[in-house]
Amino acid sequence: MDLYVAAFGFGLVGMSVIAIAAVGFTMQFGITNMINLAYGEVMISSAYVAYYVNKAGITIWVGMIAGALFGAVFSFLLNRFVYAPFQRKGTSHIGMVIVSLAVSLMIANLLLPIVGYYSVSYQDTTGGLLRAGGIVLTTNQIAIIGVAVVLMLLIHGLLRYTRLGKAMRATAANPTLARNCGIPTQRVIDSVWLITGALCGLAGVVAAMDSDSFAISNGAGFLITALAAAVLGGAGQPYGAMIGAVIIGMITELSAAAWAPEYKEVVAFGILVLVMVLRPQGLLSKRGALAAAG
Amino acid sequence: MEARPVPSLQAHGITSGYGGVPVIRDVSIAVGPGEVVAIIGPNGAGKSTLLKSLVGILKLDTGTILLGDDDVSGRPPEELARRGVGYVPQVNDIFEPLTVLENLEMGGYLLSSAQVRARVGEVGDVFPQLPPMLRRRADKLSGGERKMLAIARVLMLDPKVLILDEPTANLSPKLADSLLREHVRRLAGLGKAVLLVEQRARAALQVADWTSVLVSGSVRLEGKPAELLQRQDFEELFLGAGTDLAASEETNMEET
Ligand SMILES: Nc1ncnc2c1ncn2[C@@H]1O[C@H](COP(=O)(O)OP(=O)(O)OP(=O)(O)O)[C@@H](O)[C@H]1O
Ligand SMILES: [Mg+2]
Repeated sequence: MDLYVAAFGFGLVGMSVIAIAAVGFTMQFGITNMINLAYGEVMISSAYVAYYVNKAGITIWVGMIAGALFGAVFSFLLNRFVYAPFQRKGTSHIGMVIVSLAVSLMIANLLLPIVGYYSVSYQDTTGGLLRAGGIVLTTNQIAIIGVAVVLMLLIHGLLRYTRLGKAMRATAANPTLARNCGIPTQRVIDSVWLITGALCGLAGVVAAMDSDSFAISNGAGFLITALAAAVLGGAGQPYGAMIGAVIIGMITELSAAAWAPEYKEVVAFGILVLVMVLRPQGLLSKRGALAAAG
Repeated sequence: MEARPVPSLQAHGITSGYGGVPVIRDVSIAVGPGEVVAIIGPNGAGKSTLLKSLVGILKLDTGTILLGDDDVSGRPPEELARRGVGYVPQVNDIFEPLTVLENLEMGGYLLSSAQVRARVGEVGDVFPQLPPMLRRRADKLSGGERKMLAIARVLMLDPKVLILDEPTANLSPKLADSLLREHVRRLAGLGKAVLLVEQRARAALQVADWTSVLVSGSVRLEGKPAELLQRQDFEELFLGAGTDLAASEETNMEET
C-alpha cells in the first residue's frame, strides 16, 4: 500500500510535467492547426541547453529559464522558416504532419554528434525531502508542481482575460473573420509559437529533472506522453490537456509502481490508442477546440 | 434626378475566383456615403465571391479596387478593416465559442480598452437585445440574435463602408424587414456606404438606392430600383436565371 501512496506523490509530479508539455502541444494544434511531431525533440534540445548551463556551474533553475527561452525561439523559427511556408503553399494536414516528422528526425540527428548518445543528468542538489502521510517528495519535485500550477493559471489568465489571448481564441475559431476584424493574425500566431515554445522548452527541462538521467533518445517518449494527454483531453483544448495530464500522469506512475517503471511510456501510448478507438474527440468534446477555452 | 454620390468604395473590372478558376468576370461596382447598393442575383451567381474579393479575402486576377482615391487592390483584409471597411460574411459571421462580449471586443480589436467599453455601450443602444446577453456564448444565440451580433461586431470600428452578405437570410420576414428598413437605412442615413447582397429581390429594391443584378459572374443589369422595375428584361432575367421574383414577394410581409 505504501508503494501506491508514494506512487501517488510521483503521479503529482508526473502530471505537472505532462501538463506543461501537453498544454503547449495542444495550443499549437488548436490555434495554428499544426500537429508538431517535432515537439518532443524540441523538448529534449531544451533539456540539453539547460544541461550545458547547469554544467557551467549555474543552478538548474536558471538553466530552466534558458531552456524555456531556447524552446521559444527555436519553435518560433521552426514555424517561420519551415511550417508556415509549407502551410502557405497549401500543404495538406497529413503533409504537414510528415514535414514535422522530418524536422523531428533532423533535430535528433543534428543533436546526436553534439550531445552524444549517453545519458546525462543535472548536477544540482535535489533539495531536502518532504514527507506528508506516506508521500515523499524532494523540494525540487515540489517546486516542479508549483511551476506547473503557476503556468496553468497564467495560461488560463492569458486566454480568458488578455487581448492577445482572446485574439488567439478568435484566430483559432475563425481565422478569416479575425482578419476582417483587423486582428493581425500573423503576429498572433507568432506569439503562439513563442509562448508554446517556451512551455515546450520548460517541459523538457522539468521532464529531465524528474528523471534521474536523460538521453537524446527520450524525445520520442516525451512526445508520446504529451500527445496522449492532449488527445485524451480533446485535441486543441488547453483545459482538456490539463485534465489529460492529470489522468496520464497518475496512471503511468501507478502502473510504474504496480508493474515496471520502464513501461510508463508504453502505458501512455496504450491510453492514446484506447482513446483514439473509444473517444477520438477526447474528453472535452467536439467543436470549438481551443477557442472554447473558459 | 439625383446624382449618385462620389464613391467611397469602387471596383473596376474585377475578375476573381478560387484556385485560378474565375467565378466573377469584369465586375464593376461602386457605393458612396449615405447610399445603399444592393446586389441581387440567383444562387451561385458569385455575389459572395464578389464581396470576398472586395474585402481582400480573395486575390484579384484583374481589376482594381479604390477606397476613396487610394488603390487598395490586393491589400489584406486586416488593412481594409483598419481603413474603415466593415464586412459581415454570409456564413461564419461570428466567433462561435467566444462570448457575445468577447465577439464585440474582437470587433473592436483595433481600439483602446476604454474605446471598446464606450463602443459596446453604443452598439448596445442600437441593438437593445444584446446587452442582457453579453456573457452568453455566441453559438447559443438564435438566428436573429446571431445576425444582430455579427452586425454589432462590425459596427464596433464604426466603419465608413459596410459590406453585408445576405444579412436577412434565416431571419423571419418581420425581422428581415426591420433589419433592412430600420438598421440598414439608418446606417446609410448616418453617412455610411452600405453594400449588401440580398436574395429577396423585392425587399432589396425597396431599401436600395441602386441595384446591380449579378448573373453567372457578371453584372447583367444595374440602375435605380424604380427604373429596373420598369424594364422588360428585369423580370425575364430573373425568371430565366431561376430566381422567382413572385416567390420573394411572398416572403415579404409588407409588400406594397
Ligand atoms: N471556397 C470555394 N471554393 C471553390 N468554389 C467556390 C467556393 N465558394 C464558392 N465557390 C463557387 O463559386 C460560385 C459562386 O459562389 P458564391 O458563393 O459567390 O455565390 P452566391 O451568389 O453568393 O450564391 P448564394 O446566393 O447561394 O450565396 C459557385 O459556383 C460556387 O460553387
Ligand atoms: Mg452568397
